[in-house]
Amino acid sequence: MMNFINSLMTDFVLSVESSYFLSPTKVITTNGAEIDKLFMYTTVMNIFYFVLVCIGLIGFSFLYRKSKNPKPYYTYGNKKNHLIVTLIVGLAVFLSIDLNITRMSNDDMLEHFWNFPDHKNEDTIKVEVLAQQWMWNFRYAGKDGVFNTADDVMSNHDLVIPVGKKVEFRITSKDVIHSLYFPNARLKVDAIPGRITRLWFQPVETGEFDIACAEMCGTHHYMMKAKLKVMNEDDFKAWNNEAEHLAEVGNDGSNLDNYWGWKWEAE
Amino acid sequence: MTYVHPIHDAPKTFLSKYIISFDHKVIGKQFLWYGIFFLGIGGMMALMIRWTLAYPGEAFPVLGNLLFPHTNGVVPPDTYAMLFTLHGTIMIFYAITPILIGAFGNYCIPLMIGARDMAFPMLNMLSFWINFVAGGLLLASLFTPYGGAAGGWTSYPTLSTLIGSPGVGQTLWCLSIFVLGASSTMGAINYVTTVISFRAPGMGYFDMPLTVWGLWLTAILNAIFLPVLGAGCMLLVFDRVFGTHFFLAGAAATQGTGDPVLFQHVFWIFGHPEVYILILPAWGMVSDFLSFFSRKPAFGAKSTALAMTTITILSTVVYGHHMFTTQMSPLLTQTFMTLTMTISIPSAIFFANWLGTIWRGSIRFDSPMLFSLGVVFVFGLGGLTGLYLGTVSTDLYLHDTYFVVGHFHYTMAASVLLGGFAATYFWFPKMFGRLMNETLAKIHFWGTMVGLNGIFFGMMVLGYAGMHRRLYNPFVYEFMQKMIPLNTFVTISALVMGVFQLVFVYNFIHSMLKGEKASDNPWEVGTLEWTIPSPAPHYNFKEIPVVKCGPHEFGNPNLNNGRDFQYQTEELVKA
Repeated sequence: MMNFINSLMTDFVLSVESSYFLSPTKVITTNGAEIDKLFMYTTVMNIFYFVLVCIGLIGFSFLYRKSKNPKPYYTYGNKKNHLIVTLIVGLAVFLSIDLNITRMSNDDMLEHFWNFPDHKNEDTIKVEVLAQQWMWNFRYAGKDGVFNTADDVMSNHDLVIPVGKKVEFRITSKDVIHSLYFPNARLKVDAIPGRITRLWFQPVETGEFDIACAEMCGTHHYMMKAKLKVMNEDDFKAWNNEAEHLAEVGNDGSNLDNYWGWKWEAE
Repeated sequence: MTYVHPIHDAPKTFLSKYIISFDHKVIGKQFLWYGIFFLGIGGMMALMIRWTLAYPGEAFPVLGNLLFPHTNGVVPPDTYAMLFTLHGTIMIFYAITPILIGAFGNYCIPLMIGARDMAFPMLNMLSFWINFVAGGLLLASLFTPYGGAAGGWTSYPTLSTLIGSPGVGQTLWCLSIFVLGASSTMGAINYVTTVISFRAPGMGYFDMPLTVWGLWLTAILNAIFLPVLGAGCMLLVFDRVFGTHFFLAGAAATQGTGDPVLFQHVFWIFGHPEVYILILPAWGMVSDFLSFFSRKPAFGAKSTALAMTTITILSTVVYGHHMFTTQMSPLLTQTFMTLTMTISIPSAIFFANWLGTIWRGSIRFDSPMLFSLGVVFVFGLGGLTGLYLGTVSTDLYLHDTYFVVGHFHYTMAASVLLGGFAATYFWFPKMFGRLMNETLAKIHFWGTMVGLNGIFFGMMVLGYAGMHRRLYNPFVYEFMQKMIPLNTFVTISALVMGVFQLVFVYNFIHSMLKGEKASDNPWEVGTLEWTIPSPAPHYNFKEIPVVKCGPHEFGNPNLNNGRDFQYQTEELVKA
């Protein structure tokens, strides 16, 4: 028992020393930083109001304790100036935090996250994603540029994309609800059976990053991870050429399991 | 209009006195014991979850080998899923609801409004025993093949249909929630009727203590929205047992056009008001206690009551913020975001009124007061962190991470738990005729405060760093490797908090048997329940009291009766 408590104490000291404030993973997309910015704005405003609450809470508790202030001030708090102060507090919070973050978030959504790439006029990457217990399947259109044909490039676990290009994902699920989560892009969207959801981002950094499933999807939910590999233009081309070639010669066109994709509708 | 108060003779046998009792006070105590029992089970489950996250692959100390002999005491992954599912279900439906609403709702409403009992004593008795059946169903589900429900307390289809959860466990879970819904609806109808019909003569709505306001609004939400959840669970049972396709779609469906998202709408249209169902009683109690122990009238009591009403109404139209990641239409998303944000106006008014109440008071730091101040602190944190989640773009990152877990534990667990403890310390003398030990209560308060802030703030930091929920072993992800120490910190905080709850249990049982005898009015408060002896006699009030002033009459400078407060039955002294 003593040993157990001792080891807990050591763990405690170590944990406090090494964790302070953890920061989120590195942002690797053009718009991910917008979400961090909004987070910081909300945090600053929250700290301001929370400090006010604490000053009131601790300050009043100290100043007006019974031994210091035996005679309380008899008021219902319904005098005109009391009501005005209350109303000002309510409106100040609403105007300074709520309206601002609603506006900022709405702008972000309209300008970035809901502003899906225009595949006709831009050089983009399209990926179809099928979630299943407990694996991510990714599908590229292949050489013919048409989804759900025999030459589609298919990949499990590894999602390869080039840096600097907009990538749009269309996502569905085979069995239960999953959620495609890119911590480094600050984005996630659910994969829902019977529906197609969409997500896009534009990576600006190369490297390997985690992809996770964020929605409880069964016993091995925690194992449902994949790798996001962002390559530079040349590496991606080389990878893509080889993958398209392998798909052309290697895909079994008669295996119906390979046709889990769907037609990519313009909008 | 006058109503005949239900009068039943004082029970004589053990069975009619303690088991099948019609007396709201006994039913309240039954709910209290029932809730504390499940609080213990739910808390134990929480410790197992936390242990797994801090020490993956290590045996759970003491109990591990007994519960999981096949894995040498390590919590296995499928059991882990059951643990967090049942932890959520138990804490919400079988611990907090029975304690705050079942126990204190039952005990306080008639006493505080000057009634002899609830409007429907028989329905009240049924409400407890049906709840008991629901609890039995839930516990029974653990002993079925494949074990209990493991789809999260939200039990989203299609994971909760046969596709994701074979076995009887999930079906029993749905049935237990359905039965529990019936029980809570009975209670709710009873509370609403009692408050409307049985207020003592002279007591207008704004003369009711704010505790009653909170419990009453909670009951209204319960009566409206629990049937919705019941219906959703029944449809799920249909899908599981009778082969319907309400919630099946895509490759999993063989026919028909169901939709798994439909369940989420049904669930959250109940689920968001549920948050307020849990917190409203605590808000009401805290608003009262701050006034009682500051010895001055509740600041802006009327606006507090109206703010609570506003939130009650708003809570019914914001549920979509739980579903941003399902990608609803942009218009719907914007609407839900904007509506959610308006909740901060009434919330800010609360805080202004709470601080206004203690401003220039003469504050006594008895244990109910300490816990109430604690509620203001943790609800401040919980409320403000909700802003990140009501905002669509930050929610896209934070949804389903530990940030959400930390946030809703601050609002629903920390605030409600502290509120519940405040209520227990406050009404214990009236319930059992004895006082709880103040020193132990204060030790309990500080231990709980330190523990729960360590847990839930730690969780929010983890979530901001990107750790998502319901992972058996988060550290299979590279980016979460660095979070092991903080997870350890959270787990140790949870152990600390757990240990300090033993102080409470000891204090509760010891004081009930051997505590100092309480006077009729140990806190010197003027509401109606303190005008009668402690413990409250069978008929509550010998004569139905006539109410002449509000519940917060403290510190009136013109009072010359040797007290600094007035009973609600006394004519208001002009200031």
